Formats: sequence, C-alpha cells, structure tokens
Amino acid sequence: MSALPERPISMVIGALGGEGGGVMATWVVRAAEMCRYPTQSTSIPGVAQRTGATTYYVEIYPATHEAIGDKRLVMGLYPAPNNMDIVVTSELMEAGRMLENGMVTSDRTTLIASSHRVYSVVEKSAMGDGLFRGDKLYNAAQKLAKRAVLFDMASLAEKEGTVLNAIAFGVIAGSGELPIPEETFREAIREFGVAVESNLKGFEIGLAYMKGELELPPAAPEKKTRKAKPNAESLLADVAATYPAETQTIVSEGIKRLVDYQNPAYARLYLDRIDTVLAIDKERGGEHNNWALTLETGRYLALMMSYEDIIRVADLKSRRSRMNRVRAEVLAQPDEPIHVTEFLKPGFDEITSVMPTWLGRPIMNWANGNEWARNYNFAMRVRTNTINGFLRLWSLSRLRFYRPRTYRYKEEQTAIEAWLETVREAASRHYQLAVEIAELANLRKGYSDTHKRGLQNFTRIMDEVGVPCSTAAKDPAWGVDALSKLRAAALADPEGDALEKAFSELDAAPQAAAAE
Amino acid sequence: MERTFAKEVEMLRRGDGEYFEGEGILAITKALLQSGVSYVGGYQGAPVSHLMDVLTSDSKGLMAELGVHTEVCANEAAACAMLAASVNYPIRGAVTWKSTVGTNVASDALSNIASAGVMGGALIVLGEDYGEGSSIIQERSHAFAMKCSVWLVDPRVDHPRIVELVDKSFELSEISNTPVMMEFRIRACHVTGRFATKDNKKPRYSMNDPIPEPDYNLDRIALPPSTYMQEKMKVEKRFPAAIDFIRDNKMNEFFDGDCDDVGIICQGGLYNSVIRGLQQLGLADPFGKSRFPIYCMNVTYPMVPDEVTQFCADKRSVCIVEEGFPDYLEQALNATLRKADVNTTVVGKDVFPKAGEYQSEVMMNGLAKFVEGAVPKGVDLAPVAAATKAVADNKAMAAELLGAPIPKRPPGFCTGCPERPVFSALKLAQQDPEVGKMHISADIGCHTFSTLPPFNMGNTVTGYGLGLASSAGVKDSMKGHTISIMGDGGFWHNGLSTGISGAVFNKHDNLLIVMANGYSSATGQQQLPSSTAGGMRPPDTVVPIENALKGVGVKWIKKQYTYQVGHMRNLIKEALTTTEKGLKVIIAEAECQIAKQRREKPIAARLLKSGKRVIRTRFGVDEDTCTGDHSCIRLSGCPSLSVKPNPDPLRKDPVASVLNSCVGCGLCGEVSDAAVLCPSFFQAEIVQNPSLMDRVTHRFRTAVIGLFQGNDYAKETAANENAPAEEIKVAAE
Repeated sequence: MSALPERPISMVIGALGGEGGGVMATWVVRAAEMCRYPTQSTSIPGVAQRTGATTYYVEIYPATHEAIGDKRLVMGLYPAPNNMDIVVTSELMEAGRMLENGMVTSDRTTLIASSHRVYSVVEKSAMGDGLFRGDKLYNAAQKLAKRAVLFDMASLAEKEGTVLNAIAFGVIAGSGELPIPEETFREAIREFGVAVESNLKGFEIGLAYMKGELELPPAAPEKKTRKAKPNAESLLADVAATYPAETQTIVSEGIKRLVDYQNPAYARLYLDRIDTVLAIDKERGGEHNNWALTLETGRYLALMMSYEDIIRVADLKSRRSRMNRVRAEVLAQPDEPIHVTEFLKPGFDEITSVMPTWLGRPIMNWANGNEWARNYNFAMRVRTNTINGFLRLWSLSRLRFYRPRTYRYKEEQTAIEAWLETVREAASRHYQLAVEIAELANLRKGYSDTHKRGLQNFTRIMDEVGVPCSTAAKDPAWGVDALSKLRAAALADPEGDALEKAFSELDAAPQAAAAE
Repeated sequence: MERTFAKEVEMLRRGDGEYFEGEGILAITKALLQSGVSYVGGYQGAPVSHLMDVLTSDSKGLMAELGVHTEVCANEAAACAMLAASVNYPIRGAVTWKSTVGTNVASDALSNIASAGVMGGALIVLGEDYGEGSSIIQERSHAFAMKCSVWLVDPRVDHPRIVELVDKSFELSEISNTPVMMEFRIRACHVTGRFATKDNKKPRYSMNDPIPEPDYNLDRIALPPSTYMQEKMKVEKRFPAAIDFIRDNKMNEFFDGDCDDVGIICQGGLYNSVIRGLQQLGLADPFGKSRFPIYCMNVTYPMVPDEVTQFCADKRSVCIVEEGFPDYLEQALNATLRKADVNTTVVGKDVFPKAGEYQSEVMMNGLAKFVEGAVPKGVDLAPVAAATKAVADNKAMAAELLGAPIPKRPPGFCTGCPERPVFSALKLAQQDPEVGKMHISADIGCHTFSTLPPFNMGNTVTGYGLGLASSAGVKDSMKGHTISIMGDGGFWHNGLSTGISGAVFNKHDNLLIVMANGYSSATGQQQLPSSTAGGMRPPDTVVPIENALKGVGVKWIKKQYTYQVGHMRNLIKEALTTTEKGLKVIIAEAECQIAKQRREKPIAARLLKSGKRVIRTRFGVDEDTCTGDHSCIRLSGCPSLSVKPNPDPLRKDPVASVLNSCVGCGLCGEVSDAAVLCPSFFQAEIVQNPSLMDRVTHRFRTAVIGLFQGNDYAKETAANENAPAEEIKVAAE
C-alpha cells in the first residue's frame, strides 16, 4: 500500500466544439492503458459541437494493474482546483478559464495551451474593440503555472497540414509529465486509426517543440505600413524634419494614405491641417502627453479625409495586391483559378456621393425626405476576376481626379473643418478634452445605415457636449468624462439604447468658466 | 446520425470470460442485454442518446438474433407507455430518456403503469441532465419516484457495480411489481471503464418466442375499483417487498472508517466525488479507504429505515451528501431517525449548497465544513482548513491577474447552420416599421440558441414542441405581433397536436415558423418522420411536414429555403401583414449543415483525390474596406465569421475576418445584401483540379486585367518600429 502512489495523475482538457478534445482524451487514455495503468476519463460534451466550451477529464493512476493487485481504485469525475497535474487547452482564453477556476497551481500544474485566440461572440459583436486582453491571459498563465507551454499551435497546424490536438498531444508526450514512453503515444494514434499520418505528423511537431528542436516562424506583425509613392517623398521629408518622433508613424502613414487616396496636393492639405494642431500641441505641452493630441487628431483626420466612397471602394477592390491577398486568404494554390464575387448595394447616398454638388445636393435633400428613396438601393454582384467585372470597378476607380468636385467631398470637408475647429478650440482650454473630441471621430465609420447611425451619434454628442465644452459654455473637465462615457455608449449597441441611457445619466454640467 | 457504433456493437456481443471497455451509457446498454430484455424504447436526448442510437442503428442484426424489439419512440410518453408490455406478461423491458424534461412528458403513462404494477421487470434509464453541461431546467427526478411510488436507483459510478445493479433492478422490479428508475448523471454516462462481460440472455418471450395467449386481468386496469386496490398494494405489498429485497441483496453499501463517531451518507452517484473530496482533505486514499464510515445509497428511493438507523445509531453526527433541491433524503433521514428515537445530529444542506451541482470544490468545502463542525475524534483539522484556504487563495490570485472575468462561451449555431439565416431575417424584419418588435415564443432545439447573443431573440421557452401553444395566451394581449418558433423535432414530438391542431381549432391568427433542418439535430441528428436525409431515405417513407399541416387544416403554408434572407424577411412580413385570417406557417427548410458536411465532405475529398474538378466556396472580408463596426457579426454570429487585430496603422478597432472553417453557406453575402451592410464581403470560388479551359481563361483574364493594374504600392508586412502604443497615457491637467 505505502509503496503505491498516493494519488492519480489528474489532467483536464479544455477545448471548443469540434476541436478534437475528445480524440486527444482517447489517445491519452489508450496510451496509459497500454502501459497497464488504471485510467478513467469522462467529459461534458453537452452542446460542445454547437461551438460551446467543453471539458474532458482524465485520471491516470501511475501504478500497473499488476502492482495494485485486486484493489479497486475510486476515481474522480470532476477536475478539482489545486489538484491538476496537466491542464491542456486548445485556445488562450480557455486557458484563462482554467486559471479562473483555480485549476492551475504553481506547485504541480503544467499548463499546455495554444496561444491563438478564438474570439467569443460577446467579444466579436462589440461595435468597437471588445477583445479580452491577451497579454493579461499570457501573463497570468506564466505566473500561476509550474510550467506554462504557450505557443500558436493553430497556425502551426494549418501551415503543416495537421491538427491542433495532435500537436498538443506531442507536447504532452514531450512534457514528461506522464510516465509513458514516446513510442506508446504514437502507438495510441495508430491504434485509433483515424488520419494516422497527419496526426503522427502533428505529434512529432509537438514533441520536437518540447525538445527545443523546432524553430517557430516569427509572428506576423499586427500593423502593416504602406510603401510610399515617389511623389509622397517630399511631404514625408517635411514630416521627418518637423514632427516629434512619437507622431511620425501616424502622420506619415496619413500622408501616404492620402497620396494614395487622392494626390500629393490632398496630402499637403492634410499636412497643413495637422500642422495647426501640432502648433497648439506644442504650446500646450504636448511632449508631456506623448503628443496625444497630434497623434489622435492625425489618425482620425487621415481616416475622415480618406472617407470610403464608391470610388475608393472600387479602387481598393480592383488592385493587384488585393487579388493576391484574397488568393492567400482563401488558401488558393498557385495553379488554382478563383472566381471572386463582390456584393455591392449602392443606394442614393453612394450614387450622389459621386455627383457634382449642384446635382447631388438637391437629390440628397429630396431622398432624405422620401421614405422610398431612403431605403432604395440595388444589388450589384460584380465578378472582379472577369475582365468585364474588373473594368466596371476599375473605371469607377478612375473617377478619382473628379472626386473634389463631388457632393460628398464638399460635405466631408465641411464636417472635417468643423471638427478640427472644435478640437483646436478645445485644446486651447483643456488638453484631454481636445483628445476626447478627436477620438470622437471614430464614430464616423461603417457604410449605409451603420454610417448614418454613426454620423447621427457623432453630431449629437458634438452638439450637446463637444462644442459647448470646447467653448467653455460647459465645464471642459466635466466634458472629458462625459465624452468618453458617451463614446463608449455609442459603440455599445446598434439600437442606440445605451447611448440614450448614457445621455440621461449624464450629471448636469457645472457652469464653470474655462478650466484655466 | 452523429456517430457510428460499429466498434461498440462488437463489444455488445462479448460474453463470458471477455471484457467490455467503454462509456458508461454503453455499459448500461450491454447490461440490459445481459439481463434478457425483450424490448427497448426511448426518446433521444443527452446524456442517454447513445443508448438508443447504438440499439437502433448498427446493432439491428444482434437485436434480431436475440429477438429484442427496439424502437425510437415519438416522445417520452410513448416510450413509457411501451412498459405496458410488462404489466400483464413476465417480460423484461427498458426505456430511456433525458430527465426531468422527459419524465415530465412521460409522467401520464408512468403514473398509470406504476399504479397497475408490473409482472415483468420494467426499467427506466434516466439521463439525469443536471449541473454543468446540462441543457434543461434544473430539477430532480426523485420527486417522480416518490409521487408514483416507483423505485429510484442512483448507482455508485463503477462499471462492474453499475452492471450488477442493472440486473438487480430488474429483479427488484419483478419482486415488488414496480417499475424501477435508474438515474445516471452526465459524467456517469460518459465515464470510461471496464467490466467482465456475461453472455447476452435470450428473453423467454420475444419476437422470436411469442407470448402464446393475451392475458386479461381487471386488477391491472387503471380504473376504479382496481385503482383503490392498486394504491393499497403499493403500501402493503410492493413497498415492503422492495425494502426487503434492497436490504437482502445489499444494493446499498457500507464502507467502514476508523473515526466512527461520525459518518457520511451519500447518493451512490456522488460516492466518487465524496471520496475525492475527502482525499483532498487528507481523509481518504485513492482506493476509497476513508477515515469516516460511509453509507452509500445506491437506491435513493425508498430509503431502507433499519439500514440508516443502524448506520447512525452509534454516531454523534452524520453528514448527508444529497445533490439538488428539495432535500428529500435529508428530510426522510430526519423523520426516520426521529421515529426510531435515534438522536444523531444530521448535517446536510447547512454545510452544502441548497441547490446546484456538487462539483469538486463544492464537495471539498462542504465536507470540510462538516468535519470542522463535528470535530471527529483523532482528526487533525489544520490540514483541512489549509486545503480549502489554498484553493480560495489561488482563485483570488487568478482573478486579480486576469483583471476581468473571462467572457462566457455560450453555445451557438454551428458554422453554416441553416437556422441562423432565419433569425437574421427576423432581426431585419423587425427593423421594418410595418412589422416592428415582436413577441417571440421560442421552442426547444438548436434554434433555442437564438435567445443567446448575438441574436438575443425569444421571449419564452416553455418546453419541447410548445412554441406555438405558449403563444396562445399572450398573442391577443400584445400591441405588436406574436410569432412562434418550432423545430421539426418538436413538431413531431408533440407540436403538431399540442400546438398546431389546437391553434387551428381555436382560430389563432398568428405566425409559426417551423425550422425544418431534417433531423432532431440537437440530440445528434436522429431522423424524423419528415427526414429525407439529403435524399438518402426512400421518398415513400417520408411524411412531409406540409402534408401533416394540411391534414390538421392549416390553409396558409409557405416553404422557404432558409439561406435566402431577403425572401425570408419578405415572407415573414407578408405573413404578418396579410388580411387572410388563420394560422400562417412558414416551413423554413434547409438541411442541418453538420449532417450535410458529414455526407458531402468525403465525396468532395474523393473527387479531389481522383483529379476531378471540384469547386470550393468560401467567403472573405476585405480588411482595407472593413471599418470595424461588426454589424455583420451581430446579424450572423457564425463561428467562422470572426475578427482580427486591425492591420491598418491608423485604425484601432478589430476588423471582421472569415476563418478557413467557412463552408460558404452564403449567409454572409445574403446578409450584407439584405441588410445593406458594407461592400467588404466577397465570395471566392476556388477551382480545384482546374480544367485546361479554366486555366486558359484564368491566364488570359489575369493578363488583361494586369495591363490596367499599375504598381499599387502594396502594404509591406514589415513591422514598424516606432508604431504608437495602443493606449496613450495623457497627463491630467
């Protein structure tokens, strides 16, 4: 009795439906049984297959049936906090869930998780950035586990043509936490007899990683910066010469964007505009604020100036680089032709956006007042891989030269000037207020209804809080807090209920004078 | 069906001197055959679906040899009614379903059979769908056992013991002329294990050896005066007989321990967890050797009075570990001890939570509280306190490091699910002022996920197939429209009679949408009367839903292919705005994507291997034009439609992105069309094994197009060093 281990090796597997967590559990159980270790596994598959989180729990008693003799083990059915030797999850947030449930402890738990993210509906459906902080998960895992093995098994599996759970199985084998010889793990895969080749391949990858024999491909950078067109060089030189280092990425990116969007003259306009902000930023001690004012204004000014009209969309969709990106994204082999169909549905907004002002404005005024026209739009299915389809977009994109004469252009420039003026006005009173107003421009995004809704919210918040605060009609300090609340609320739900609530909850603005 | 059971069937054939290895629910199935059942019926539902699936799919041959009749019943009531065969004849039968929901449906038949009593062993295998992973309301089956006076077996989770108890339960049923319910929790159904098999027993009477004569016996009819007599029988004969049998056959178990001034009484199903809990507190070893004596109630109803009094008599304090609410056992225990004038302190729901599953942490903390309160002789309390504190501390630390609670991962519609588009259409329809916000009476099935994000649609869920019936009271009291949802599963389970014929008879004037995906999908794609199985099923065996609807007098019936969101939205509007009176039914039709993929993927793979031309379709999102407002996701919620960090240095919000798991169902295109979303979506058809023609056209097109495309200064993928930090600190003024 005393010779026998005092507890089984406990292992919990957290996966998402359809990720083969069950298969991996079976492999582990079989490998252990081949070594004659008493083993038990159970699971909560529940509605797993329907994309929910699912757990498998395995207990392996590290003494053979022979050693135990006729004694019968009583094994657990639930993973228990502070009682896990191995925790495996197929995704980073599921690892976080295990941490949250206390399954990972520094005295005994080896945490094995793929570091990629599969975002939950709640995270995905936020109108802004609703993602859970990956760095928090990563850091917590490192701190709480005896050993944390975290790397992107998903992309590795995709690249190598194998599956995540096979790689994880290899990692388990390589971790040495189970008293099972390598070959037995392989045998378990062979015995299971499903996709043996690719599973073994994955297994070897995981094993190699644990032995330090595997070079992981460097993670692709999150941000892609644009090559500059030759005719943007002089402007970029100006930025390099006159702008603080912290702001150069954004501002020069803005210039590249606008040269590409329209022409160097338009980019110069951008620079002139942002110069006026930088000037104020310098007066107002921008260096102590990491030049946030110039940064955020520069960011959103560039985005507002490169508003998405059909010329822009046609331009972006008819580029060579775009077609290449699509091919890569859908994993088309070099010799495989692809047919690409675009789903365009222009309405009066889009059509008038490319009309001259004298024609566009009256039509829009009429359309806005007309129930039918407001909802009117026609579906266009354009096949951009065909010459005909491509040319339709391409010729649209050629209208760029004419953009400055369009109705939408006038509208946008007026809006931009108004917004800029408010930002500058605010900056002269309260730095952070100006930054908030700059960031408010993030509401002006999306297409059709989403865009309209965004504009309404933007205008309302500007009129009721942004502008009055910038002129100190309302207390700027109060405005900072109010604006950040309202901006968050505007992005909380499309129905605008949250925004209504936020407005109603705003405590009355103290009628103070300027913050100075 | 979701999976095949070829391997398991081979296990079911094993006999003397061999072993069974596998899941608990299949061990139970094998045990039934070893006990010589003549018939098995049931209704699918986790966690007992496999029992039916294995018997009614791959093991048809074996069943024929043994002469065992198996059938997938229309619903649980039908399944329970099957037990009528054991009322007059000495034949054993077993039925199964998900409980308590299934038992609710079955209870009419259950009461009548319980009252009439049985001659042959009648076993009801309950999947006690309680706690984590459950998909139903949280109740106990125990109450049914009490009110019908049928026996409830809750076996200790250990394959050999379970198999033994199945056989015992049949005997118990026969000796006490009472049906026996045997409950298995989710984890018990899925737990793996092994036991020495016995030869399957050919039933005395079966399809192969028919019963010679029908038996008429008024005593077995649920009608006065018999019913009065039957009630007396329960009390005077069946109850005592049961208690004697349970005691004499040691169905409950006593485990001794050295600190015997206290003790633990637990439901059999919780025994393993009790041991593991004690082990964590340093009070038990891996072989179940506990410091405290344990009385393990494998039969939780009826309680055997002299067993409990005997166990408690010499103890200062006992802890009863009983999962769920109300605390029937604790009450019974207190009453029994009081009657026997045994003054042992009974601790139970005062150290354990009154409701909810007793998972490991709950179990450990509950036991710790009991021990710390009872202070058993010779037990050092320090390690006990330390163990519980360690867990709490570690969780607190985790919470602090994570900074925020981990977002839930609710189940949702699968990639390419044909039911999702219907809710997209409903969402859009409600944006139409003529339609407006509606009250939606939802139903049970995959479509219940509409009540979760991102759809958040459905105001009530009242039971399987009750979607339409549950709208009867509210429909005329609502300013706006009231519509109902029902799956084809619920439709055939009882919705046709409970909902539709009633609505027609009462001249309801609202809309019902029947989700016809061709299977009882949520339970594992079992077929239904209307299943065509993608054309695999002989047409003359299929009963189309519209025929059934016409049969009960529905006039307004429209069929709509679910993926056409625009059409669906218009049809919904038409149904709600038409002047035509009466019940309107839209049959939202398209095959369950899981079933479809399972059938078509291998075919495509084969064609691909053999060099045939195969077109793979999927969707994509242009990261350049996506502005990151995610309205597409809110209208879809497809697992394959996700987000990724925005590659644009100027933008912060994540962009939408289609994952490679996309099956190209077309919803994305339909939605961005019907909802006038944004131009970022594109559909890509990849021509695999392209023909010469394909290649030539492709080259030509690319060449010509290339002439127009200049160098567009594609984005470099080089990371930019001085990229700004995501969050910029701003010094307060």
